[in-house]
Parts: sequence; structure tokens; C-alpha cells
Amino acid sequence: MTDPKVVEPWVAAPLKRLAEDARLISGVLLHPSGRAVGQFGFSNAADVMSICALTSAINASSRELGRQLHGKPFYEMHHAGGDRQVFMARCMAGAQEFLFVGVFDRESSLGLVEIYFAEFQKALEQLRPHAPEPAKPLPAGDFEGELNRSLDSLFGRIG
Amino acid sequence: MKSAPAEVVASLSHVPGVAAAMVVGSADGLIVETSAMKGGAAGGPDTRKHTAALAAYLYSKVSRASHAARLGTPSFMRLEAERGHICVVGADDVVLVTIVTPEANVGRVRLDMMHAAGEKS
Repeated sequence: MTDPKVVEPWVAAPLKRLAEDARLISGVLLHPSGRAVGQFGFSNAADVMSICALTSAINASSRELGRQLHGKPFYEMHHAGGDRQVFMARCMAGAQEFLFVGVFDRESSLGLVEIYFAEFQKALEQLRPHAPEPAKPLPAGDFEGELNRSLDSLFGRIG
Repeated sequence: MKSAPAEVVASLSHVPGVAAAMVVGSADGLIVETSAMKGGAAGGPDTRKHTAALAAYLYSKVSRASHAARLGTPSFMRLEAERGHICVVGADDVVLVTIVTPEANVGRVRLDMMHAAGEKS
């Protein structure tokens, strides 16, 4: 497997280990806003952009659905397709929230992905920078701009 | 598997030397039913979820190896470690997993697991 491409270097090692241990085909770590933090298994920026946008929207929807149905938000989702399965969950590193979406097939299992994702969360918590750089101010609601900036970091500027 | 998962787990957990018995989904590696962990350190981490997922995964790989060698489906898998054994038996869509102490009579454990899985020993 090729090394993950990351915007924030401290997530590279945990992401690589998660991919290898859980036998994931591909995966994206992102902020809940939809900004990509790291990815593996993708060569196309447009694919990552779509996945980030969809994951962000699914996360918002499933949280609200959880609140409506269960009184508290859902934080983890699994879809078992015919050949491939999708695992989606949130993780915390200090006060910073991330979303992760990963794809696997019969070479892995949901049980394996869950246990290695738990280890991934612990690694993020241990490795997180304790004095994060202040976020650059962005225009409110600049969703597309934020996506494009993170994708430029992951794949290089296109055009 | 002829009996309900809860019955299988209750029965296997009473076999001398069995520290934990679990029924685990063979495809997803998730615990369907489990006994309490006997003899675990108080307040220590619960390793049953890890053991279940990894044992189911290992059994699927062992099955592939067995088929590749034209030996058919494995009937019983035993992993011997420093401080005990992990035993696995496949039963349709689930696998039976036991964590066994070194002093246990593994032959008895095997017989009871095979019986629970509905196979001839």
C-alpha cells in the first residue's frame, strides 16, 4: 500500500497503520466541515471531494436522526454492500473532532475494522499537537473553498 | 449449530478450563453471544471483542489455506500460546471461540465445541 497523503503530517502514521492492520482498501480522514485531512487508496481529487462532501452530509444527517430516534446522536455507521463495505465513524483528538470513512472487502471484517479504529483513535489522541496552529480565518460558509484548499494539499493544485 | 447461541455459550463456559466462550459472526467478526471472562484481572481491559474479531479472521484464513491444500473445511483450530489456548470451530454462519487456560483438558473442550457446532468429532 502506498503511504497516505496528508494535510496534517501527524495523522500519517496512525492512518497508515489503520489501513494496514484493518486491511482497508481506501479511506479518508476529514473534518466535520468536509475538509480532507488525509487519504489513502485514491488517486483522483474529484473522488475525495465527493466523499468528503457526502461524508460530511451523512454525518450531519445521521446525528440528527440519532437525536430524533434515540435522544442522542449516532457516531458510527456501517454499510455492507455486495462486495465492499463502508465504515464511517467520528473520532476525537482532544477537542478536535474528525470523521473517518473507510472501505473494505472480504479480506477484512467489521469486527477487525472496529478494533483497529479504536486503536487509531488512541493514537490520534496521543499524537495530537497540543498547541495547534490557529485556524486561518475563512469566509463563513466557504464549504467549496475549504474543500478545494485541502484537496490542493493532498493532490497538488490542478490547473 | 443446533442450539441457541446463549445455550451454547452457557454450556461451553462450564467446561473446566474455559475462561470465556463466544459465538462470533464468521463474516463480520462481531460477538453474537459471550460468557463473562473468568479469571480476568479486575478492572483490566476486556479483550473478548479483540479476540473474537481476530479469531474469526484467523479462522477464515485457515479455511482458505485448508481449501488451497485440498483438505476441505477445517473442523477444529487450536492456537497454543504461552498462557493458554484459543480454540475455534466453524458452525454455519458463526464460529465458536473459546479462550482456554493451559491446564484445561483441550480434548474435552474440543469434543464439547464440536458437539455444540453440531458436528461429529
